Amino acid sequence: MARSLKFNIFRYNPQDSESTPHMESFVLEETDSMTLFIALNRIREEQDPSLQFDFCCRAGICGSCGMVINGRPGLACHTKTKDLPADITLLPLPVFQLVGDLSVDTGSWFRELYDTVESWIHTKKVFDPAAPEERMEDEVAESIYELDRCIECGCCIAACGTARMRPDFLGAAGINKVGRFLIDPRDERTEQDYYEIIGTDMGIFGCMGLLACEDVCPKHMPLQNQLGFLRRKMGITALKNFFGK
Amino acid sequence: MSLSSTANHPTLNARRMDGVLDWAQMLSGVGLIAFMWAHMLLVGSVLLSPAIMNDIAEFFEKSGMAQVGGPLIFLLFMAHFVLAARKIPFRLENQKTIWEHAKLLHHADTWLWVVQASTAMVILIMGAIHMWAVLSDLPIVALKCAETLQKNKWWLAFYLLLAPLVHVHLGIGLYRIAVKWGFAGRAERKGLKRFVNVLILVSVGISVLTLFRFWFMEA
Repeated sequence: MARSLKFNIFRYNPQDSESTPHMESFVLEETDSMTLFIALNRIREEQDPSLQFDFCCRAGICGSCGMVINGRPGLACHTKTKDLPADITLLPLPVFQLVGDLSVDTGSWFRELYDTVESWIHTKKVFDPAAPEERMEDEVAESIYELDRCIECGCCIAACGTARMRPDFLGAAGINKVGRFLIDPRDERTEQDYYEIIGTDMGIFGCMGLLACEDVCPKHMPLQNQLGFLRRKMGITALKNFFGK
Repeated sequence: MSLSSTANHPTLNARRMDGVLDWAQMLSGVGLIAFMWAHMLLVGSVLLSPAIMNDIAEFFEKSGMAQVGGPLIFLLFMAHFVLAARKIPFRLENQKTIWEHAKLLHHADTWLWVVQASTAMVILIMGAIHMWAVLSDLPIVALKCAETLQKNKWWLAFYLLLAPLVHVHLGIGLYRIAVKWGFAGRAERKGLKRFVNVLILVSVGISVLTLFRFWFMEA
């Protein structure tokens, strides 16, 4: 027999001066292969058209549907209701600005992050559209790709104790982004340049190693290994700078 | 994330201390872990025989290592507190945030950090009391330790609380250093956790047995 699911959903519309933050419950019959994406859409269609939440790809690629599911940040489209108890609590991701209900603005946050870490290839070479593409070892390309898989859903930021306490912390997504350019042979930035971006408590040294980022990442990015690697690398740069090379 | 007020001048960056302080925090922690295990084993030698413990204590006192090393360890202890305190939330607002965060997340490692930060505060006070009490009343003799505990049960209660707190703090600290600095990667994390759990149990076991050895020691 199909379960009856009770959804406790955070409701608040910051645009509406009458609105106050509160939890609202909705009941739905569970269907086969139901995901939170399906459930939320049914609630919106059948029970409350004013419910706000973000979706785009339904396939764990766009990163828009990050939310706190029974306490853990995760993607709604990736989460099957059969893996959850009948009582499901949904909250918007903390840290990011609330748009309304379950919808948050991760875009502005990540936009600011790109500016801070200068998230593009820094090179003095002039691009020649007629020239054949520069070759790169398969191994290097694969390791760059591995770090480029981040969909910027914001789950690692919402799960991070440091990011919750200090708003200037770059978080795993930001630090990982620097790691991605650091191994890219096309980027001409030096170790010192990277150190200037993440060699502080706002970057890698602010990480307290709680590893919630590693544990909630829906794309299973190698965040623990990446953070460890960058802490050692930036730690060595810090010592070099301190002792005057 | 908000960075509008960050002044990122190269001259300021050159004087950045965050990385060096992070090294210092880690190394002072490693130093204290090494000291505490040595301490546990040296005092635990009473389990083999009070005479062995007395000989060891005498060696450290005669060579002046207790008189000089003791205060140095106290300095290291205070330095580690100051360094690690950079990350501990002292403001109520932040304490509420991290508490709510841990309750919401149901994530073991986040709770471990809460435990580590709270045990740190208790160890800071109790550890300081312990060091003062022992170093201001040298020499260390097994029978004298036994008498102190037997005469005043509060001392027994004091150490029965302090010892497990220290070993839990040490174990979590060791685990966190290993994962934070990448000495243990994703593949090693589970095994490391199991190892640290066993280590904590064994250390607490030795410490509690040592305390009871003093408690039941006869003059």
